[in-house]
Amino acid sequence: MHEFLNDQIDVIASFCQNRVIPKRIRWNERDYDILNVNLMHTAREGQKRIFYFSVSDNTNYFKLKLDPEYLEWHLVELYN
Amino acid sequence: MSRIIIHIDMNSYFASVEQQANPFLRGKPIGITGKHQERSVIATASIEAKKLGVKTAMSTWEAKRICPSMILYPGDPEKYSYITSQFNSIFNEYTDYVEQFSIDECFLDVSETVTDYLEAIILAQTIRERIKKTCGEKITCSIGIAPNKLMAKLCSEQVKPNGITTVCKQNVLRFLDTCKLRDLCGIGSRIENRLGSLGINTFDQLRKFPLENLVNEFKSYGHWLHESAHGRDDSPVINTCGDPKSIGHSYTLSENTDDKNEMKNCLLGLSDRVAWRLRKEGLVARCVHAIVRYADFTGMTQQQTFTEPTSNGLTLFKTAWQMIEKWLDVSKPVRLLGLSASTLSKGNEYQSLFKKERKVHSLQKSLDKIQDRYGSDAWTRASLIDAHFKERSSGFHSPNSPSAV
Repeated sequence: MHEFLNDQIDVIASFCQNRVIPKRIRWNERDYDILNVNLMHTAREGQKRIFYFSVSDNTNYFKLKLDPEYLEWHLVELYN
Repeated sequence: MSRIIIHIDMNSYFASVEQQANPFLRGKPIGITGKHQERSVIATASIEAKKLGVKTAMSTWEAKRICPSMILYPGDPEKYSYITSQFNSIFNEYTDYVEQFSIDECFLDVSETVTDYLEAIILAQTIRERIKKTCGEKITCSIGIAPNKLMAKLCSEQVKPNGITTVCKQNVLRFLDTCKLRDLCGIGSRIENRLGSLGINTFDQLRKFPLENLVNEFKSYGHWLHESAHGRDDSPVINTCGDPKSIGHSYTLSENTDDKNEMKNCLLGLSDRVAWRLRKEGLVARCVHAIVRYADFTGMTQQQTFTEPTSNGLTLFKTAWQMIEKWLDVSKPVRLLGLSASTLSKGNEYQSLFKKERKVHSLQKSLDKIQDRYGSDAWTRASLIDAHFKERSSGFHSPNSPSAV
């Protein structure tokens, strides 16, 4: 099932070699360990650059949105 | 000195990017569609879907009929643009002559980078590995290497996915004779049929056909056909993006409609988008095209030229709507509306002598600044308050419609 969401989430991420790598997300009071970061892309919203991370665990695909201005993470897509 | 041109064509591009992003789509037949999947077409089919007979531009219902297990997945243009910029920057590391032919195709003139075809093959392999490493292993490309753009493009079509095909100058004719006329970029079904009626079904026959007769039949295109049949093409790899020739938007409505107010709202929204893009590029348009497609897939396109070039959304809308209203067949519901501005030139809009119009112009500048700062949804006209551009698509969308996200 493919869902479009816009849910604020908690994220544990590492900042390593000039890269941001999401490691674990907390959504709907449940923790999900990220096993793979499959793709990263950016998009412009006016002058602001938004970062998107396409990540997955063993059963779910998540698309995460990072707003660098407010340092907020959102879950914007779910596929399982 | 003979040129060495590389043509790089990404395989099932949009589908491959989605399969890279989402591992649960890998190995499955998927089709990338527009925002209303049931009314859309397949923009790209995955390699697995192509093997089952699904083709690009097929309607989604037809694709589902051929392959019921196919997963329809909405396209994500921003993601594709980003990946395109990633591999384009890789190409620019190897040569200054890079021509982007489309979002997933590029020509590279590597005549100054390599000395022979062997080096060109090594370079092509290096580029392929770099793309894999930077963008992901599911994003593959087919590469053609030849003495000109026409042949390089034909070469890249030969081995898909992930192939490298090389044809050097002395083998061009032999290679052409293994291809069908339709394989060549520039020969479509109509030209092929016209050639067939002249008894030309192969490149060998096309080469032997008198040039005079070809020119009589096809006018100046006859020269191009004659040169192509000999594998000749002098067109350079143009390394600048260049200014756009036209800027347009079209939108398939969530349901067919005969409601003129809905059509007007849609067209006004599209006009504002086109006008904003014109102003962002510092362009003005002398011509506007209005496009209507009916539910039965017939349609009309009309164009009108302005006396003064414009980048004003309301002017584009008024002109386009006048044309549509005049020609609209009210007995048929409308499926799609579109608008395109062309005959573009650099410059600003004509400054009116009238105070009211100057005020509107100045307001427009302020609104543009807001849009530049906060994005395209930062303001909207009061008449369009109940509608918005749907996320992840360039379309215009009413939140009350059944397919709203």
